[in-house]
Amino acid sequence: MNSGIKKIELTEMLPKVFVGENIPHSGVWMTHCVFERGNHYLIEAPSGGGKSSLMAYIYGARDDFRGTLAFNGKSSASFSIEDWQKLRRRHIAYLPQELDLFPELTCIENIRLKNRLTDCVSEKRIEEWLERLGIANRRDYPAGKMSIGQQQRLAIIRTLCMPFDFILLDEPVSHLDAANNGIVAEIVAEEAARNGAGVISTSVGNPLLLHSAINIKL
Amino acid sequence: MIGKLLRKNTSPARIAGFILSNLIGLTIMAVGLQFYLDASSIWNQEDSFLKSEYIAVNKIIDASYTLGNSSPEFTEEEIADIAAQSWVKKVGAFSRADFRVYASLGLDTPSPESQSGSAGRRLSTAMFFESVPDDFLDVKNGDFTWTPDSPEVPIIISKDYLALYNFGFAGAAGLPRMSESLFSGLPLQLTIISADGKTRRQLYGRVAGYSNRFNTILVPGSFMESMNQKTQAPSRLIIDVNSPGDSAIADYLQSKGWEQAGDNSASSAAFMLRIVSAIIIAIGTLITLLSLFILILSMSLLMEKNRRKLHSLLMLGYRIEDAARPYWRLTIGATVAAALLSFLCMLSLRAFWIKPLEALGGGEGNLLWSALLIILLTLAIIVINGIAIKRRVTEAWRV
Repeated sequence: MNSGIKKIELTEMLPKVFVGENIPHSGVWMTHCVFERGNHYLIEAPSGGGKSSLMAYIYGARDDFRGTLAFNGKSSASFSIEDWQKLRRRHIAYLPQELDLFPELTCIENIRLKNRLTDCVSEKRIEEWLERLGIANRRDYPAGKMSIGQQQRLAIIRTLCMPFDFILLDEPVSHLDAANNGIVAEIVAEEAARNGAGVISTSVGNPLLLHSAINIKL
Repeated sequence: MIGKLLRKNTSPARIAGFILSNLIGLTIMAVGLQFYLDASSIWNQEDSFLKSEYIAVNKIIDASYTLGNSSPEFTEEEIADIAAQSWVKKVGAFSRADFRVYASLGLDTPSPESQSGSAGRRLSTAMFFESVPDDFLDVKNGDFTWTPDSPEVPIIISKDYLALYNFGFAGAAGLPRMSESLFSGLPLQLTIISADGKTRRQLYGRVAGYSNRFNTILVPGSFMESMNQKTQAPSRLIIDVNSPGDSAIADYLQSKGWEQAGDNSASSAAFMLRIVSAIIIAIGTLITLLSLFILILSMSLLMEKNRRKLHSLLMLGYRIEDAARPYWRLTIGATVAAALLSFLCMLSLRAFWIKPLEALGGGEGNLLWSALLIILLTLAIIVINGIAIKRRVTEAWRV
């Protein structure tokens, strides 16, 4: 995986909780689905469709599925913890829906916690992102005291603080207005282009405003 | 920053509890070991020629022997019976001399009565010799061998004899006190008169060594053989035993009506000391083990409280080791602190016993061994607890 991940393949994948249920036709489950590096994907689904599960599966946070998940043709079943950790530092960025911030750390400390691990983004660019997303004035606030929309923007910046081949965004703009949605889309597109990365974003009706994205119905 | 995050919820009381219990456990162990080493050096003053595992055995002389009804000599069957005992490595016999010996010692101290000044005072005494088989003596250095060409007869005497001279005789007779080395350097003139009284020989002797535990005067076996006219049945046996303090030895000798010559209270005291020290060290080990459990439990509790954070760090891509490190540091710090304190505690407790033991000729235990014991246990605690911590972090991999 040193050369990076070129494609993520899902073969006959199905969350175990769906086994035995009558599921409608899906572009992801129980089929052969390939995400290629460089492309933008928007996954649209109603609540309970398994969007967050899909993201967690690809990030190795959960493995309660049937079928196979493969990176560059290599099945994830054989991955060790350290394999996943390396993936999380160098190849796959992930914004979880629940954000997973440390409420007792300040906004900037939350970002640095990731950036120190990857040593990827300059302080200058972080400040620039804080400015563009309108939370520069919350820089030294404890994350727990920021509004949910501000926390979402903070979590997006933290997600970008690593080199990546794919970026997984689970409902990235669910708490943002259209203007902020546009800014997030802009920054994500910039960083994806810089890394030559693929973007996989989910939504329940408020999609990230990415241009020329491939739409997939879950 | 990770340390700040993960050490939140740390209970100082629990860490202090661990340090205290570990300190007590390690101190008790180190005290047990150090006291054993210091005290046992009292008995470990090795004879230069005789190993400490040797004991001398003889029959108890009572009125029947004096009247000549029974014999104080050991029969071949009795010797074979001893050799068959499980605590015996080998048995040898003390050979007695059948000749008479007079020794005189030249002391060049001017006597108050003598006006000449040049004539020294001569100390003269009747003596006896015994010998033991060569394989019971460490004679590799050649100091304790004799051939007919040898100018001097090497002799090993009991330390008690020198003490008797120094503290009893010399003071009363106005003679100088002498150290072991000085005494060894004095020429000893021996007059040997054969059993039949027909031959008389003049020889020189030299004190080649001192024995703590055998009340006898030993000469090389070869000298004894060449001087004795006939061989005698042994009345004293020298036995190489596995452990001089073994109670089986005392039981056996008692059942036969025999006794161990010399001071065997030392070896039974050494045996008691070994047992008491072993019990103390075992108690210390138990407390140390319990402190390890306290440590593992309190770390588990702390990590359980921080499990969500550990999971979040792993989600960010931190290695298991990165997340375990703050806990490793915390416990290594606490363990090392307890170890250092326990060594200091042991040293300050040692001050209470070292003076009295030094007065008894001990107190020479090497501190390295207790230090090593503390270091080994500390390492064991660090490794076992380190593994437990890593396992806990790995559990947080899944929520």
